[in-house]
Amino acid sequence: MTAIAGFSEMVTRNLRQSGIFAAFVLIVLLFSLLNSNFLSPGNLTNIVLQYSYILILAIGMVMVIVLGQIDLSVGSVVALTGAVAAVLVIRNGAPWWVGALAALAVGGLVGMWQGFWVAYVGIPGFIVTLAGMLLFRGMTYRVLDNVSLSPFGGTYYDVANGFSTNGWFGGYGVDVFTLVIFGLAVVGYAVSQWRTRMGRIAYQQVVESMPIFVAKIAVVAVVVMAFGYQLAQYRGLPNILILLAVLILAYSVITQRSVFGRHIYAIGGNLNAAQLSGVKVRKVTFWTFVNMGLLAGVAGVVFSSRMNGAQPSAGNMFELDAIAAAFIGGASTTGGVGRVTGAMTGALIMAVMSNGMQLMGVPQSIQQMVKGLVLLLAVAFDVWNKRRADAR
Amino acid sequence: MSSTVAATRVPVLAIRQVSKRFGPVEALVDVDLVVHPHEVVALVGDNGAGKSTLAKVVSGVMAPDSGVIELDGEPVAIASPSDAHQAGIATVFQDYALCENLDVTANLFLGRELRERSLMRDGEMERVARGILRVLTSRIPSVRTPIAHLTAGQRQTVAIARTLIGSPRLVILDEPTAALSVAHTAEVLNHIERLRELGLGVVLISHNLNDVRAVSDRIEVLRHGRNNGSFDTRNVSQEELLAAITGATQVPEPRPSDVGR
Repeated sequence: MTAIAGFSEMVTRNLRQSGIFAAFVLIVLLFSLLNSNFLSPGNLTNIVLQYSYILILAIGMVMVIVLGQIDLSVGSVVALTGAVAAVLVIRNGAPWWVGALAALAVGGLVGMWQGFWVAYVGIPGFIVTLAGMLLFRGMTYRVLDNVSLSPFGGTYYDVANGFSTNGWFGGYGVDVFTLVIFGLAVVGYAVSQWRTRMGRIAYQQVVESMPIFVAKIAVVAVVVMAFGYQLAQYRGLPNILILLAVLILAYSVITQRSVFGRHIYAIGGNLNAAQLSGVKVRKVTFWTFVNMGLLAGVAGVVFSSRMNGAQPSAGNMFELDAIAAAFIGGASTTGGVGRVTGAMTGALIMAVMSNGMQLMGVPQSIQQMVKGLVLLLAVAFDVWNKRRADAR
Repeated sequence: MSSTVAATRVPVLAIRQVSKRFGPVEALVDVDLVVHPHEVVALVGDNGAGKSTLAKVVSGVMAPDSGVIELDGEPVAIASPSDAHQAGIATVFQDYALCENLDVTANLFLGRELRERSLMRDGEMERVARGILRVLTSRIPSVRTPIAHLTAGQRQTVAIARTLIGSPRLVILDEPTAALSVAHTAEVLNHIERLRELGLGVVLISHNLNDVRAVSDRIEVLRHGRNNGSFDTRNVSQEELLAAITGATQVPEPRPSDVGR
């Protein structure tokens, strides 16, 4: 007999998860009430473009944090990889893809360097990446000869600013391609939820009652399609949103379905047990840092493209935004717990707050204070929630 | 089930003259141990007698300084835990070495996930996990429960079930009942009997002589890293065992393996 959970039970059981989404929804509602422009097509597009590199960094960061490590160097790596691309493309006239690939290669090398020290020499990631933060910042200044380079222009600029697919399927004022893609996403979500539900029923596990299940999917569908419609009214699907979607899907599979991902969780959960079970701890640690370096390279390309140039001081404090996103998204400070989807929600909360406060003309100083408090409250909520669960 | 029947067969595990030092400390000195299929051998001794060191040597966590380990009569080199697992040796360590953040299935298969390319075969792993828990007649609510939500006894059941993944020949249990209540201990002892019925060789390391006497076929005593007596569980008195453990009796004459050195 399959148990059916009521709505309130569902909410309490997944308090951590639902708490994050509820907070996100509340923040969005709040800003849309405070500012009529907030949900406009132009601004929604802007949020995606403006914070895409934090989302990309947060994917790699949540994996490093689940492993039980931390990476403080990603801001400097974003600057370094962008600088390398700028020197190649702007100063030496190389094609855009040479610059992009070189940035990824540099990111990968940086990851190998840090992974080597953490995994094979046994130095804590905090120290290695603190050193890396200084090291790669210094290198950025050397690579750029202390000056800014701009503009990229052309295809490189379009990576983070373009809407290449706009008008593929036509449409008058509303891009049909965007709507089709969002429609497919909703269908995909519904199918995967349905399969999960069927699986749980087959294993006689608790599921929501049918009306709640349908309502949940309907709400998601409405929200997603509304977002898609707004984008379609503006200039269609930003290239960067396509890149983000691919990365999020790919990394959800890697973290939840692959052996590599399973081993990251095992090492973060109980290092000793993982080692005794034959998990190759050093190898997994090494590759997690290489992966972080690669994603920092991707973020470097996106950020330099977005800025249409490279500055020696680019990417300053990005590591803190990425780390905050992971923790707001439910990652545990002790490792072993955290999800890519959670980190994405955390990053979106940060993005929406920054954007909303900017629209309202809140001074930078207050913005920082608010973001700091949100991070503190999110982790405090996590701790309280865990203690409550343990007490039962 | 008697050790006389078992003795006529090739032992699944034979440890010969194994020694291990940590600096000035002699953890193991020329230790011998033989385990047959369908046999539970208890390894007892006081704190620091070398029981856990021996378990770690056989399970590939530590390399011995000297000596030979034979499996089914063949000498083997066990350099790592995965070597040991591949050779059919499964170990339950003292602090049951589980990842609390992962569910039962994930823990059972940790380090040896069933895979298709690099993706895991979740459905298949869950099926096998349910089968193994059924063999152990265990009371685990669901194979998807995270370990953090299980009781101490259920965790030990998962740790023992872990040994049955793959096709083990020898299971080593290091103090499996140390932290358990009476009821949970009884459950774990049942599991150990199931392992014997499945035809495995079992090494049970324990402080608790009651548990040892309840489930083992033979008792081997270690003292100061040396063999100090081997007893048939049915014919040994509590006094004899305690005397061997505390050193009131010594092994009388050189053992056969010492002759000719």
